[in-house]
Amino acid sequence: MSELPHTAFSLRRVGALTSNTLRELTRLRVFYVLLLFALLLIGSSFFLARMTFQQEFQVLKDISLGAINILTSVLAIVATARLLPQEIEDRTIYTILAKPVHRGEYMLGKLAGVLLLLAITTLLMSALFLAVLYVREHTVLAETARQMRAAPPDHLEEALRNVRASAFNLNLLPGIAIIFLKAALLAALTLFVSTFATSNIFAVVVMVFVYFIGHLEGTAREYWQQEHGTGWIASTFLGLVALLFPDLQLFNLVDDVVAGTPILPALFAKTAALGGFYVTLYFLLAWAVFYRREL
Amino acid sequence: MTDAITVTSVSKSFPIPFQRRPMVAVRDVSFRVEAGQVYGLLGPNGSGKSTTLKMILGLVRPTRGTTEIFGRDSEFVASRTSVGFLPESPYFPKYLTGEEMLRFYGKVCGLGGSELRTRIDTLLELVRLTNARTRRLGGYSKGMLQRIGLAQALINDPKVVILDEPTAGVDPAGSREIRDLILDLKARGMTVLLSSHLLEQVQEVCDRVGILAQGELVREGPLRELIAIENRTQLVLENASVELIGEIETRALAAGAQVVEKRNSETTLEKLFLEATQSATRR
Repeated sequence: MSELPHTAFSLRRVGALTSNTLRELTRLRVFYVLLLFALLLIGSSFFLARMTFQQEFQVLKDISLGAINILTSVLAIVATARLLPQEIEDRTIYTILAKPVHRGEYMLGKLAGVLLLLAITTLLMSALFLAVLYVREHTVLAETARQMRAAPPDHLEEALRNVRASAFNLNLLPGIAIIFLKAALLAALTLFVSTFATSNIFAVVVMVFVYFIGHLEGTAREYWQQEHGTGWIASTFLGLVALLFPDLQLFNLVDDVVAGTPILPALFAKTAALGGFYVTLYFLLAWAVFYRREL
Repeated sequence: MTDAITVTSVSKSFPIPFQRRPMVAVRDVSFRVEAGQVYGLLGPNGSGKSTTLKMILGLVRPTRGTTEIFGRDSEFVASRTSVGFLPESPYFPKYLTGEEMLRFYGKVCGLGGSELRTRIDTLLELVRLTNARTRRLGGYSKGMLQRIGLAQALINDPKVVILDEPTAGVDPAGSREIRDLILDLKARGMTVLLSSHLLEQVQEVCDRVGILAQGELVREGPLRELIAIENRTQLVLENASVELIGEIETRALAAGAQVVEKRNSETTLEKLFLEATQSATRR
């Protein structure tokens, strides 16, 4: 076998690292979060039985989207935080980087593996949630039709329309997409933190702080601007803070979705672009730090 | 002869937090490994062996000096197209089978399809793990893990293999298997650079050695030259009578030579151990 030609970037190398990362993460029994999610849905149905159908659908959406949001965020942080420290501890990182693999390819493979895991988890949880919503919607439709057998057809039609309107709507899909994007952002940021972290616990602790700061940052910024105005120094400072600690509240479109407020395409595009920007930024930072890191 | 590895005036210091003076791990080390040689880098723990190997592999940057593999600076990823590496006691994922592990490393090296399948078959045969190819690594013995580790180092058919303490924690039988594999690689024309503190083993396989102590290369050269005692000669006889030995002694003394030592040849403890354990296994 002759020496293999070396290329600066190889999709095959990245693909191998991605699939290996995904396999490694699935071995951690991360899919237990799905079980947790299913139990949450089943448990909530006991409370939902006592509500009107509008309340029931609203609470179901609230609980489900909230749970998907929390569980994907936790998964993004916990799964990513262990990747680098574990491979260094196991010394398998040496066997990979001693081969003609660029550190950027290695990092990309790791991030892509986590994102794939998050995508699969989000899809499965969403499918479970939408299936429950679909079943409940049809049960309520059937019940309504039975109860309003004697009502005039236009009344029945309106009642059924109300049921459909409060159950599934297309707004749920961009809402779920933004939840995934937020988890992707957290994964990229965790990967960056893990490039200089000495252990996965350290990376998790840092990310927990970042998570809370990210959710409170918007409120703090508004307060600051009201109190101190918006001079260029303050704006630059707040911009820097926003780079280090992403304003996670901007990715919180779930409340609007649950309330039935449509997510405007412009808002969705802006939020998605912001998410993409953060993921790219943190990946590049992670790459830059890891490129110089001595193993 | 072409130089497979060139290490030129390499030093490495690691900064220590809150201290002005850094920790010097390697100090002005230079050596060359010719293609086809087995080179042993010896030294006690903490002497800088692993750091030197990592610098050759581009995992750690030298503070001063350069390292090259077949003329390519180790800083560049392309220098690693012709290298395989087995670190000291790696912890490969237990859930993978031997075959799956090799497939992953093959893909990382850009291999695929029938070429990769053939390569995996060849390597499993070479490291004598064909029968364990579908067994999970969690069920492998330490010796088997080192052998599959060696197979992953060879997956891209490298010209140079770097082994960091390849027999650490392996029992004598496993250790011997790895030693035989190294000799096998040498016979195939491969260059091997290994670090070890098991001197007897190094003596059996290495053509040339370098001895590191506190980060400095204190001895370096062909093994035979380093260990030879110039004014002494060893004569090993089999089935020699007492009279013959006496005659040789007399003639030697008459010629002005001194008989320094006279004793029966001994087997090594390793050979004794292997014979005893192998015969017990056969029973």
